[in-house]
Order: sequence, then C-alpha cells, then structure tokens
Amino acid sequence: MGPVGRALIWHELLERARDRWVLVISMLFALLASGVGLYGRSAEAEVAKLTGPSLVTLASLLVPLVALVLSHDAIVGERERNTLGLLLSLPVARSEVVAAKLIGRGLALAAAIGLGLGAAMLVSDPDGASTLLALMGPTLLLGLAFLSMGLFISTVTRRQATAASVVVVVWFGLVFFYDLGVLGLLVITDGGLSQSAVSALVVGNPAGLYRIEMMHAFAGSDALQDLGLTTGLPGTGTTWLLWCSWIVVPAALSGALLSRQKVV
Amino acid sequence: MRGLQARGISVRFGRLQVLDDVTLPVRPGQAVMLVGPNGAGKTTLIKVLLGLVHPDFAVFEMNGKRAEIDNDWKRRMGYLPEAVAFSGNLSGVQLLRFFASARGVPRGRVDEVLRRVGLVEAGRRNIRGYSRGMRQRLGLGVAILAEPDLLVLDEPTSGLDQEGLSLLWSVIAEWREAGRMVLASTHDLALMERRMDEICVLREGRVLAHGTVEDLRHSARLPHRIWLEVGQAPDAKVELLCEAMRKWGKGRIERVGDRVLAEVPSDETLALVEIQSGFPGVVRGVRVEEPTLDAVYDKLLGAA
Repeated sequence: MGPVGRALIWHELLERARDRWVLVISMLFALLASGVGLYGRSAEAEVAKLTGPSLVTLASLLVPLVALVLSHDAIVGERERNTLGLLLSLPVARSEVVAAKLIGRGLALAAAIGLGLGAAMLVSDPDGASTLLALMGPTLLLGLAFLSMGLFISTVTRRQATAASVVVVVWFGLVFFYDLGVLGLLVITDGGLSQSAVSALVVGNPAGLYRIEMMHAFAGSDALQDLGLTTGLPGTGTTWLLWCSWIVVPAALSGALLSRQKVV
Repeated sequence: MRGLQARGISVRFGRLQVLDDVTLPVRPGQAVMLVGPNGAGKTTLIKVLLGLVHPDFAVFEMNGKRAEIDNDWKRRMGYLPEAVAFSGNLSGVQLLRFFASARGVPRGRVDEVLRRVGLVEAGRRNIRGYSRGMRQRLGLGVAILAEPDLLVLDEPTSGLDQEGLSLLWSVIAEWREAGRMVLASTHDLALMERRMDEICVLREGRVLAHGTVEDLRHSARLPHRIWLEVGQAPDAKVELLCEAMRKWGKGRIERVGDRVLAEVPSDETLALVEIQSGFPGVVRGVRVEEPTLDAVYDKLLGAA
C-alpha cells in the first residue's frame, strides 16, 4: 500500500474514533458485555456456563450494527460532502482507497470489540476471561464481514440516508429475520429440505455462521445435533474460506465498481 | 508548449454529449477562468483533468510531452472542489495533516498553510463548528498544501467573505508570480475578471470562445459607453455637439441631465473624442466605460 493508502488508514481510524454514533454503540456493547460478565461471576455455577453463549447472542446482535454504522457512509458520505473527488484526485488507485477504508474502519471496529469484550473480561472470573478471549477472533471476523457489506452498500448508493436505510434493513434481515426465514422454509417444505441444504442456508449468513461456530465451541457438536444440524456443517478450512469470502468479496466488488465508475 | 494542454476532450454520458472536442491550454504563470451556464461542462472538464471522469477521448500534454492521467500527473494537481464540506469529526489541523502525509509534505508545511489561510486559531477546533467560508478556506489550504503546478479551483468564491476573497486573490497572484498555473471555474465573472489572464467560455460542452478579456470584448463587438460631462454649458451648444455626433452616425447619442451618453464601437472612441474637441468649452470631462465582462458573456452566449 502506498503513502496515500497508509495515511488514509490512520485518518479513517482517527475519524471513526471521534464519531459519536460509533462511540455510543461501542459503549453500549461494552456496558452490556460487562453486565453479562459480572452476572456470570456472581451467579451459580450452572448460570456461569451461560456467560459465553450470552455474550455470543449479544455480540451477534450488536457487532453487526457497530460494523454497519461504521461503514455505511465510507464512500457515499465522501460523495455527499464533495470530498470523494478530492480524495480520488490524490495519487492513489480507487481500489486502494476502498482497501484503506476497510482496514482503517476495521481497526476502529477491532478497538470497539476489544473495548466491549475487554470490559467484560475485567469483571468476569478467570474461566470467563478465557471464554471471552476465545470469542475475540470470531467476533472480529463477524464484524469485518458486516463492515465489508456496509462498504459495498456505501459504494452502490447515491445518498447517505439511503445507505443508512439499506444497512438497517440488512441488519434486521440477517440478524433477526434470516433464521426465521429458514424456519419458515422448513415449515413450508414440510421438512423436505435436505440437512446439507439447511446447513448451507444457515452458514450462508455470516451471523448464522458465527452463531454455529460459537455454539460448537461452547456446547460441542451435541448441541448442534439437538438442533437437527447433523450434516453439511463446514470444516475449519471451509469456515475460513466462508469468512474470507464474506470479508473480501463485498470490498473487492466495491473497489471494482468505484474503479469502473466513469464519473466520481 | 510549456505548461498543460488538453486536446480533443470528449465525454459522453449515455446519449448526452457532455464535452465535445474541447481543447484547453494553460501556460506557466497563467490563470485561466472557465465560465459557462449550468450544465456547460465546466466541472466535468475539471474532473477530466483530475482523473475523476474517464473521457471517451482526450490527449494530454505537460510541458510539450504526451502525458497520461496517472499518479505523476495527479501529484502536480491541487484541487478545491465546489462547496466542499469536510467531515466534522476532525479538526482543521488533523485534516491538513492527513493530506500532508498522503502527499508526502513535511508537517511543518501544515502550520505554514494554516497561517496562509488564516485558520491558526480555528485549526485546533472541530470542523463541525466551521462556517461555510472557513471550510472553503480550509479547502483552499488543502489545495495549496503540496504547492502543485496546477491549482484547480471549482467555484472558489462561493461562501467567501471579503477577507476570504482577498486571500483567494493573493493565492492566485502567488501562483502566477511563481510561474505555476491556475484553472478556476466560476459564475462570479465580475469578481474574477481582473485576477485571470484568459477566459474559456463553454456552452453545451463546446468551447465558445477562449482568450484574454480584451480578445473576448473585441469578438463580442459591444459598444463602449462614453460619458461627456457638459455641466454648465449652454443648451444650444450642447445640442450642436449632439447634432454633430448624430450626423457622424457611428453610435447612439443621448442627453442625460448634464451629461451626454454616446454608445460607440470600441474602435471609434478616438474619433468621437476628436468630434467633441471641435466644440471648445462644452465638454468638461470624458469618462469611457468598457463593456462589462458580464455583458460580453451574455452577448457571446446570445450569439451562439
């Protein structure tokens, strides 16, 4: 990455760190995560086991929201402020600008997740702390996947308000309604869907992939079997491939679209 | 040719021909003003030069050599976009530091630029609290930060107060004196007229006229307005003078209070002065008004 890209990464990190909305949602995540950590410490042993899954539920709701808030204005915001042209008039490739924005905002996201889970680690017992440490990596991958999606939405929309509306729809769709949709499909087809098709549908959503991965990490494969997910779940290699695709493909598409745009 | 030359620029958006075979030379030490009605293609032309619009056809030259719009080309450009509104989360200093790092400019230059654009105090504050004029000055600071060969200004006067305008004129003068180039698009013809060397008039994506203000005045063939102060001279003598000028038949003659207005072609002003010299004691003063650039512009657009 050239000097413009490197400068842009730190510029993005600094700018996001001063964004009120990002700060508010990150603080909310940190507060709720600390609450879960504290509850796990004070409660009975059986309840303490639920610290990890509770944090997974919390993270799968809030981390995508933080990521989408962070990224929805990355390109369209610059376009609306008339600064996109200024940025792209610098000696830098358009795809490098997209990559720098993903990395810079990804670092801000990592800081927000680190703040949230770190706060929970501070108040939880040693077992809880190791659980939280295990959560860090997959949670960051989940966030990066949604960050990349937000970046793509920001590239294809022409107004920041439109981008904000689309990311809210995406958040509700993938975080809340996607699983309901899969369940509905199962009902409609009267169980006619194969196990591998159901598994593919579940892991086809980064939020679903995250939940399944974490469920497997905390409760083992038995818990997944109890849910009827016995076959078709991806192995480690495929899981990595899926995460990489979710992170790289939308950002790469953004870079390609911006590079091909005749007018900025 | 030294400096920048863009030839044959053609840009089509779908079925709309936005620029059609536009040629634009900018020589070292020269400031060129782009004017034209909305939709004439001024901003598109600027964006082509900055690599923000991919033209369907264009040939670029820098100092007589063929050039591409690549990173080397972009390093020579400084850009002030129209109505720029930087993100409010940063301070002016932080924004300038980013552009300084991106362009490989030493940090010391940031303080220099802040002083130059009069934002030393405000530079520490969040941009959110800046007025429109302050944001415009900050944008000008970003544009001049790397001391580019070509300063590209899109509607630079918008939002600027008198102090801001003085700053803009001094920056343009500095660039011209240093042998660098300025290209500015504007609707404020009267404001910019005296600060620019050449004017390029665009209409519907084509160059309608290009030259100095004098060239354009000449090609517009608008009459000069000559005011003859007749003051206390007897009416009869004034009428004789008017009659002589009317007989001359080169322009419109009208008595307006204690003055006589003569509208004559620019190359006939001396002849008119000679006529009045034949009536000693009648005319106490002569004032010649050249046609305004706005009038020239309207005539050129009207004639197209």
